[in-house]
Amino acid sequence: MHEARINGKPVLLAAAAERAAEILSAARMPVIAGLGTDVAGARAAILLAERLRGAYDHMHSTRIFADLDVMRQAGLMFTTPSEARLRADVFLFIGKDLTKIWPAMMERLSPAEIPPFDLARERRKLLWIAPGRGAKADGLTIETLDSSNLHTTLAALRASAAGRPVRCAKSARRKLDEFAEVLKNARFGVAVWGGYSLDSLSIEMLHGLIRDLNKTTRFSGLPLGYDSNASGVVQTSGWMTGFPVRTSFGRGFPEHDTWRFDATRMIESGEADAALWISAYGVEAPQWKKNVPLVALASPQTAFAREPEVRIEIGCPGTDHDAAEFARETGSIVSRKASHPSQASSVEAVIGQIAKHLGGDA
Amino acid sequence: MLILLKGGRIVDPVNERDEIGDLWIENDHIVAAPPDRLADEVHDVSGKIVMAGAIDIHSHIAGGNVNTARLLLPEKHQNRVPNPPALPLCTAKWSTFETGTIYASMGFTTVIEPAIVPDQALQAHLELSDIPIIDKGTLTVLGNDDFLLSLLRDGEGPAAVADYVASAVGASNGLGVKCINAGGATAFKYNARTFSLDDVVPFYGLTSRQIVEALQRAVLDLKIPHPLHLHANNLGIPGNVATAIATIEAARGGRLHFAHLQFYSYGSEGEKGFSSAAADLAAAVNAAPNVTVDVGQVMFRQTVFISADVLRQFNLAEMARPKKSVIHDGDGNGGGIVPYLYRENDFVNAIQWACGLELFMLIDDPWQVFFTTDHPNGAPFTTYPEIFALIMSRDVRAEAIARLPQDAVAMTTLPSIAREYNLNEIAIMTRAAPAKLLGLKDRGHLGEGGLADVAVYSPGKDLAKMFRFAHLVFKDGDLVVRDGRVIHYRWGKALKINPGYDKAIDRRLAGYYDHHFGVSRDLFAVTENLLPRAGAFREVACAR
Repeated sequence: MHEARINGKPVLLAAAAERAAEILSAARMPVIAGLGTDVAGARAAILLAERLRGAYDHMHSTRIFADLDVMRQAGLMFTTPSEARLRADVFLFIGKDLTKIWPAMMERLSPAEIPPFDLARERRKLLWIAPGRGAKADGLTIETLDSSNLHTTLAALRASAAGRPVRCAKSARRKLDEFAEVLKNARFGVAVWGGYSLDSLSIEMLHGLIRDLNKTTRFSGLPLGYDSNASGVVQTSGWMTGFPVRTSFGRGFPEHDTWRFDATRMIESGEADAALWISAYGVEAPQWKKNVPLVALASPQTAFAREPEVRIEIGCPGTDHDAAEFARETGSIVSRKASHPSQASSVEAVIGQIAKHLGGDA
Repeated sequence: MLILLKGGRIVDPVNERDEIGDLWIENDHIVAAPPDRLADEVHDVSGKIVMAGAIDIHSHIAGGNVNTARLLLPEKHQNRVPNPPALPLCTAKWSTFETGTIYASMGFTTVIEPAIVPDQALQAHLELSDIPIIDKGTLTVLGNDDFLLSLLRDGEGPAAVADYVASAVGASNGLGVKCINAGGATAFKYNARTFSLDDVVPFYGLTSRQIVEALQRAVLDLKIPHPLHLHANNLGIPGNVATAIATIEAARGGRLHFAHLQFYSYGSEGEKGFSSAAADLAAAVNAAPNVTVDVGQVMFRQTVFISADVLRQFNLAEMARPKKSVIHDGDGNGGGIVPYLYRENDFVNAIQWACGLELFMLIDDPWQVFFTTDHPNGAPFTTYPEIFALIMSRDVRAEAIARLPQDAVAMTTLPSIAREYNLNEIAIMTRAAPAKLLGLKDRGHLGEGGLADVAVYSPGKDLAKMFRFAHLVFKDGDLVVRDGRVIHYRWGKALKINPGYDKAIDRRLAGYYDHHFGVSRDLFAVTENLLPRAGAFREVACAR
């Protein structure tokens, strides 16, 4: 069963929802942050943000925008894990944290298996830039390239692949050229990265490399995305408002700005004067230091630096209740059956309770 | 609730009415004038035009590719006018909420999203659930999916293909079958850069023609009301009229819907190697009563190409304005997003604009040609009112033609055409014929028992204004629009078919997903309890 508390004291859910509505509606500029929730929860949160004329943000925005800013400034070529698994004759892995981001990656992409839809049906080649220690793929030799600066390495690789001059040590040059040759000879190559290793400039450089390779062959990208349904929340925000997260309704219509509507910045600067924190997947708590009235919809084990004014425990999407969420393993929004159905409230249901006290429903 | 629309000009081609008269609505249906009863609500619509709600058969309003386009182009859809939101998210430009609001205010009550690949169906239906007022439907994209191609390669025969098609459409809750550059997206994964009707898909050894024929046959065998909805090969390429005519011939008298024909009406005449061949193509359509087409009219403004023809989109990326694009090598078709600015003073764009209008004018039968811009590929659907004016008035056309580069105009037959659509023909093209084409017997007309989807317009000299701001719109008998403004939201249905098939194919498909993709097919189910409202779907019967 869920638990609800006001200032640390157990109360009924209805009382907690009423108090939450008071806090949020009394604020000049409330912000909905965290936003680790399924599609239904995100949908309810965005409708609530509009009614409150507040802003909303996701806990992984910094990483979301590392990829998204590249897409909307330069474009993107990407594929799905299924296509990569079935077709890729060359994998280009980048960064040491790929299997940390996605523990099932090796199993899902099966680099050691012969790609069933490849015409030549040869063993795949796996190139790994900055693999870190312990990178292995059972049954497959990995060609590695160390890098102390991924941007520089990717720039050099792109230059080498394009036959442009590269200035570096001879031994490094030979390795780069070897890598470039493999990439150019790929039939359907796939570059895999996670937002923890690459900043926007590096992702844009990688994208430039992918575009260049497509002049003569096929190559695509596979960004691994972020936890807490970040991609699903961005998609939901996209169709509901036209924009990703970091969007505000302060002026009566959605405005998107990655700096202005950064939840932490808004709170630290005093622009936002109340917060609704949502984290249904994990135990993340807000990172801001400033003390503002806080309503939290969080997993039971979440540890807060300071007890929220209102705290409502919620279930985990796909575990406690059925959920639509973005799946890393398919690259799409999927239907997730509850693995351990329970009575725990969903974010959607709790926001529905809060919204009731705002008059009418969204 | 009994509603009377009193004294309007009723334009209802299905019931052969074009006369001043009354229209009665009870609850969500149109009824005969009830004897001895007074209406609860009377609307004096004298001097107004009364039509059934309009139906758009091809408009990209939902799904992963559309949403990627929104996220790609934040700078192109900013609201700048502080206006307090009257209805949830109606101020959010290009949102699902705004989409329903604008369609309704123009008198449209049913819109079909024509390109949903099975693995994107759940997202598409989540998006459609957030489009207010209108009823929706999706077409399921097949023809580059590996399971289908492997069935065909292995010569499994029409029964297995039909079972698979039924299962795929059923699982994605689609209303029909769409095929987009059959085999072309798969060939692109093997580095093909062009793909035509008789080119062979590597790995599978199948031609585009074979794939289209197989899907056409499956749609027929399953008695799916809507014929195969085809996005042919070689879209947008000079001289592609030959492909279009060959594709019409390839239907061999069978029913086929040829989508956004304007993009296939190009010759390669003249100094610049680009000309209108719309007149020849219109003649081919006139000679093929088995074929229906929609136009895909171009209008001059900023837009964005959104298409699951990933091969074509890749080749277009160089022309992106602004210069950025997304190419998605997805499961099955994938897709591409390429922003584009159609310019009035551009030779090619001017010819494209003229080609669309030539098709409207030169295809004789309004039951055969459908009103679309292939939103947003030719133009956003918000340009519909201007296009109604162009096809209904020779003068409006002449004014527009005068602004174009005259060397471009010379490559078309448009200035010589005098035809003007009348309201009856508009009602056929945008109401009666789409309902027939989609198998929707309950709408597209104002006869007794029909769904009370009704649009009332105020006629005037400014035809575009008349169609932009409907005077009144009823959806299921509920007054939702007054003087071009949405009064309140209601939530329409997604129309779907549920063709019968041998469920053994589901077990094979489950095994295929487990083995090839390494994930369960159940993940892609459109689970109704995940949609925001119960009763999201309405089934359309499979029978012809």
